[in-house]
Amino acid sequence: MTLISAFLRGFVSILQGMSITLLNLVGRRKITLQYPYQRPNISPRWRGIFYLPYNDEAGRLNCVGCTLCAQACPTGVITMTKMGAGKHASVNEFTMDLGRCMFCNLCIEACPFDAIHMSTRFELASVDRGVSLLAIDKLAQGGADAVERTRRTIEAALEQEAAAKAAAAAAKAAASAQPTEGTGA
Amino acid sequence: MTAMQPAVGASTSSDMTINLGPQHPSTHGVLRLMVALDGEYVKSCRPVIGYLHRGLERMMASRPYRQSVPFTDRLDYCASLNSNLAISQAIERIGGMAVPERAQCLRVMLCEMNRIASHLIFFGTYAADIGATTAFLYAFRERERLLDLLEAYTGARLTYNWIRPGGVASDMPEGYAAAVCTFLDGFLKELDAYDTLLTGNPIFRVRTEGVGIISPEKAIAYGASGPVLRGSGVNIDLRRTEPYDAYPQMQFDVPVRTEGDCLARYLVRVEEMRQSARIIRQCLREMPEGEHWGKQPKVFRPAAGEAYSRTESPRGELSIYLVSDGTANPVRVRVRGPSFVHLSMLPELVRGVKVADMIAILGSLDTVLGEVDR
Amino acid sequence: MSLPPLRRAAPTRTGFECDPAFVAGQFAAGVAVLVAAIAAASALPRLPWRLVDPVLIFIGSHPVVNALVKALTVTVFVTVHVIFLIWLERKFAGWMQARLGPMHVGWKGALQTVADAVKLLMKEDIIPTRADRVLFVVAPFLTFMPTLLTFMVLPFSPTWVAYDFPLGILFVLAVTTNISLGTLAAGWGANNKYSLLGGARACAQVLSYEIPMAVAMLSVVTLEGTMSLTEIVKHQQSGWNIVAHAPVMIPAFLIFMVCGLAELNRTPFDLPEAESELVSGFHTEYSGMRFAFFYLGEFAANFFTAGLAVTLFFGGWMGPWLPAPIWFGIKTIAVVALFMWIKWTVPRLRVDQMMGFCWKFLVPASIVIFCATAIMVMVAGS
Repeated sequence: MTLISAFLRGFVSILQGMSITLLNLVGRRKITLQYPYQRPNISPRWRGIFYLPYNDEAGRLNCVGCTLCAQACPTGVITMTKMGAGKHASVNEFTMDLGRCMFCNLCIEACPFDAIHMSTRFELASVDRGVSLLAIDKLAQGGADAVERTRRTIEAALEQEAAAKAAAAAAKAAASAQPTEGTGA
Repeated sequence: MTAMQPAVGASTSSDMTINLGPQHPSTHGVLRLMVALDGEYVKSCRPVIGYLHRGLERMMASRPYRQSVPFTDRLDYCASLNSNLAISQAIERIGGMAVPERAQCLRVMLCEMNRIASHLIFFGTYAADIGATTAFLYAFRERERLLDLLEAYTGARLTYNWIRPGGVASDMPEGYAAAVCTFLDGFLKELDAYDTLLTGNPIFRVRTEGVGIISPEKAIAYGASGPVLRGSGVNIDLRRTEPYDAYPQMQFDVPVRTEGDCLARYLVRVEEMRQSARIIRQCLREMPEGEHWGKQPKVFRPAAGEAYSRTESPRGELSIYLVSDGTANPVRVRVRGPSFVHLSMLPELVRGVKVADMIAILGSLDTVLGEVDR
Repeated sequence: MSLPPLRRAAPTRTGFECDPAFVAGQFAAGVAVLVAAIAAASALPRLPWRLVDPVLIFIGSHPVVNALVKALTVTVFVTVHVIFLIWLERKFAGWMQARLGPMHVGWKGALQTVADAVKLLMKEDIIPTRADRVLFVVAPFLTFMPTLLTFMVLPFSPTWVAYDFPLGILFVLAVTTNISLGTLAAGWGANNKYSLLGGARACAQVLSYEIPMAVAMLSVVTLEGTMSLTEIVKHQQSGWNIVAHAPVMIPAFLIFMVCGLAELNRTPFDLPEAESELVSGFHTEYSGMRFAFFYLGEFAANFFTAGLAVTLFFGGWMGPWLPAPIWFGIKTIAVVALFMWIKWTVPRLRVDQMMGFCWKFLVPASIVIFCATAIMVMVAGS
């Protein structure tokens, strides 16, 4: 008797399972995404390819070349050379080797200047390792143009600073030459 | 031409040595099982591991503390947030960091979401191991929705690196709680349907009931933990026995089954998904206000000493042991992974069973090779 | 760093979404094709057949030409319908699993199988060095030929049957058993351990399930008093077997279905090619066209078993309005879909459970059904 009831229960259970698959066959939306033609909806927080934001008002990249991101990186993805100094600093070269990158977000959190971001671009596959080695013209928002403008802005600022410094020094020299009008050391 | 070659390394000439893996449809990841078969029966089985060895412990030990978190993503890649939590707790303990209440609650929520995702992988791959391909795809459909949610929060779909020493890397995005609740409503309904599809199925039951029985004594002797231990009737869940983060405030049941067979482990995991959904709802309802990120020292150089953190990952007890000598890098990082322990039980469990049962038992242990090989 | 809120971008529209106009258009096209097919089929008898009559008479009267034409027709049909069946299976599985299935080659991926076949044809022909070459090469044909032969007796209509053998069922039983020879040859010849296990399982399975299947078929034979498949269909003029003799024929049909699943190596009886255990069982080492032959054989057997079920239980070609072969096709595809439905729902049995189920349950049950049918026939006769 138990054998028969077990058999019947099993039979009914298989029928239940078949009704579930049938329901999915006819009644459910298909979830396949025809990928290259249909694009996935990507979260705005997506951790994709990096970019260095360009500040239009200041006419330069946000990056000041402080290497905090490079220090925060667990795998040594980032290398950079600094351009300028002090307040007017940016980067000459900023290279990321995405072949080593874990997309762990640590560089972005380390940056105090909001100078490195991740975009929602996710198609990183390539057949050439060189492609994953991103130089600054690939990383900068606005490309080589932005890098060039940053260089000009920094150079202009540095020149201005140097000129101001020279002027200040000249004034100082002039002041020390005429000690009678000096107000103090 | 030649007939079957005599088996290598087996005791009698009728034995046949077969290598399941490292590339085989049923071995999860890159596990290789050297199996001596006598017809359909398994005479002995030797798991060969190390195909995924990356030296993660050493890599973590050669970097500043906070940089070791992304490496834990690669331990148990099915539940990387749980691994993040383990290392973060260890670092917090060694450095004496405090975690804000909101961050604790967010952590619990994230971990439970990842637990569901991980158990869904188990559900799907186990169904596929037993031969039900459709349930596999259903499980992955639900997991996809969950990953979308985790992506909306963390920006990544597998290696999140979002639970950090001192808190969580960010707060929830706007409207997140509602999105999670919507998912959970749908998910629980789907889970019931999958339960009907697979759990009640007589073929599934005869394949799993009474197969691969682990007695409670044996489970304890081997050091099993998580669903494997609870499937054997030992009621130990670190979220209950040694609660951490916001778990003490959470109401949830710890599913325990006494049978100790594959079905028991499967049922424990399915029930855990329901309990995880319960915990996530509580987290969302009772989320305290505040910071998601505690106060952190600029330069992190903990005093010489050691710390040990135990967490309940979806697979069992995931513990991390840290030794500091006062410098910026740890001296030693040691990971105690549940998968390794469970895999070590396999040779004893599969002795004398059929090939198909071996696959069922291996699947029910739910090992992740990223964590076994490290 | 401030994070943007949770917000999903609007999905990009492409041709793959369900645009109502698109769906309506496709539906209209489908209806048009169906109407055209029905019209063509109904116009067929009114065509000036006299013009082709001499040809037909020649074909019909010349024994060699007749046999060749029939063999060619059957072979072409088997090869071509498998292309459709594989597409159907993939679509069916896809939809059932909330996927779309093949979508790219041809309309909704209809030509995907053709593309696959071309790919398989162009693949390198690999014979493992230590394989038993003769067995390895012969095995795919050994599995395919019996299936091809069975199509000779399958009645698509009273006249559309290549060879109306009076002992059709006996022929079917005798020929299909040989499939296990091919799988065993493949399992042994490849000199691969997975193949060997798969071959052994396949042989044991096919031989065991042959018995209840044969007994279930014999109960139909008892009922109808003939072994000719066309005669069996003709006897169902008053009502399909499964309706007219429901008490015995429904259990017989269920047993037949279960055994059919086992003969076809489909889940829950796909142990010979159990993916999670034996990679792909007896055809693990096969590639290219030899692999395609296994596939061809499997799907042709699928159609044949379904066709046999239709012939034995569902009144074969009989049905209103539509021509006989179309009715046969519709019914058979429905049974094939049932096979697929079961396959994509249930898990796989273990080898001892599979054998136990056959010998401890199906064989006794089929014998009981057989006896019940015999008693029924006796009572009805007296």
